[in-house]
Amino acid sequence: MTNPILEVRNVSKRFGGVEALRDVSLEVKRGSITGLIGPNGSGKSTLFNVITGFYKPDSGSVYFEGRRIDGLNPNEIYNIGIARTFQIPRLFGSLTTLENMMLSPRGQKGESLLRAPLRKAWVNEELQIANEVKNLLKEFNMDGAYRMVASSLSGGHVKMVETSKGILGRAKLILLDEPTAGVHYAVGRSLFEYISYLRKTANLTFFIIEHRIDLLFDYVDYVYVLHMGRLLSQGTPEEVASDPKVIEAYIGGA
Amino acid sequence: MFDIVSFLVSWFPIFSIYAILALCLNMEIGYTGMANFGLVAFYAIGAFVAGYTSMTIFLSFYGYNYPIYSLDAIITMGKIAGRTPWLNISVFILSLILAFLVAGLAGYLVSFPTLRVGPAFLGITILSFGEMLRVFMKHFQPTGGSYGLLGIPHPFAWVSDPLIKNLLFVIVTLVILILVFIYFELLANSPYGRALKSIREDEIASLCLGKPVPRIKAELLFVASGVSGIAGALYVFYLGSVAPDMFVTAVTFEVWSMVILGGRGNNMGAILGALIFSLLNRATAILNFIFLDLLIDPNYIRWMITGILIIIVLMYRPKGILAEKTVKTDAWRIFGEAQRDWDRITAMIQVANRYLKRAFHWLIGRETK
Repeated sequence: MTNPILEVRNVSKRFGGVEALRDVSLEVKRGSITGLIGPNGSGKSTLFNVITGFYKPDSGSVYFEGRRIDGLNPNEIYNIGIARTFQIPRLFGSLTTLENMMLSPRGQKGESLLRAPLRKAWVNEELQIANEVKNLLKEFNMDGAYRMVASSLSGGHVKMVETSKGILGRAKLILLDEPTAGVHYAVGRSLFEYISYLRKTANLTFFIIEHRIDLLFDYVDYVYVLHMGRLLSQGTPEEVASDPKVIEAYIGGA
Repeated sequence: MFDIVSFLVSWFPIFSIYAILALCLNMEIGYTGMANFGLVAFYAIGAFVAGYTSMTIFLSFYGYNYPIYSLDAIITMGKIAGRTPWLNISVFILSLILAFLVAGLAGYLVSFPTLRVGPAFLGITILSFGEMLRVFMKHFQPTGGSYGLLGIPHPFAWVSDPLIKNLLFVIVTLVILILVFIYFELLANSPYGRALKSIREDEIASLCLGKPVPRIKAELLFVASGVSGIAGALYVFYLGSVAPDMFVTAVTFEVWSMVILGGRGNNMGAILGALIFSLLNRATAILNFIFLDLLIDPNYIRWMITGILIIIVLMYRPKGILAEKTVKTDAWRIFGEAQRDWDRITAMIQVANRYLKRAFHWLIGRETK
């Protein structure tokens, strides 16, 4: 495999007396689908929040394409190519699907205060993005939904729109926090099909938190297991599935 | 007898000023979700800057060195205000620009400690800033303390017919209102407007899509506060005086009621709200003359009606009289939807542009192609 796109080195994070992450080191290989699993409260979401700039690690560092990124703001992190989704999807409820998706492309010319009133400065870019959105919606089989207000979309559609943000934003690495939570098994499977299709066609890398391990293990290349803020195990899905430590952490040992 | 012209002359500038304020607040609360409870502060800053600038320039131009708040200054201003038309006009324009810049800068600076906190903190901080400013101005002698400034030169003081003088001012406020409306419409119906709405909906998610949320908020506070400052300056030139107690917190909430009633996130709604409330103000003021033995002060009746109106409107139209619309950019064209609002504005600008060109060519004596 090629060099890692994302490297987390010895990251620790404390919240008062709670040690959310302790000396966690991991790598995400370029072009891979990497999974992150662990029981509730094991620090998975905290790790995502550290990577995307919401928390500063107490110690340790995060590298993206060889560049140190811990300490950057969330918007800066998005602009260098890391997109994320949330456990509970955060679409802009009263905006339409179209507007939601149009917000994703980064560095839009029309998003500066001075250029916004000058339509000529951004109209071409706007049309281009809108075309891309239209094609994506067609791909998702939700052509008619562009006009719908995001809060009235179905769960599956919401997940699709949420995932599309990374594509439209030209992200290189997409962090998905429980992409199939709350959707039907079949929808979850088609979402994962889409993710692995994207990995091949769009050269994207995915780092995924998922509780549906059966679903996840069919698609990932490599899995990390977090437990009580520490890295418990890592390897291919087969290796991890047969690791007695992982089984113990999930089922609860003596 | 109801005299329509004199009604227009006295009512229209007030309506425009409130409409401009409502447009500013609409950009802040309706689009960006910033609860600005201290709008009046920037309005006041604009007003005092305009009053101070125009008095100082006039007195020093004519070589008087009275303090601008002194009785001598007021008397002198009465004599010199109409002598030099070009000075009136240029002082007026300069005052508007300075009011914009100073109020905008104040908005920008006030936003700093509050950028990264939620709307409630921002609201309370600016609210207290407004009150502090008012109390400070009451004790700030260079602008006359609690008496304020009097005798501020009207931009058209050199016109001898008072009706024409006032009508000219009506036209100026109308033009400024239209310009502000067009600017905010253009801003709102652009990718920038979309980013503003995303901040209102979910700040964190917006940040996660690479939008520099704190910077956008600060920029918008600069623009909206600056334009509120222009409204303040217009008010001063309309009244010819400025005093700290004109800028009580109630003014902010009056503008809030206009935006809530007219429709948050809709610029036409903001103007409609201003129209309704400014007419209501007039109507209740007239009550005073008709029913001399009224039990309650008409001022209170106005507030009661305001409250009732808001309750009724929110019951039947929770989004305000004119509901919010989608961000109209060219993206909709790809989906085969005409841009009605957008097209109308562009057409308006084109027509205005054509007439301006024609007027310009007429001035320089050339044929328009």
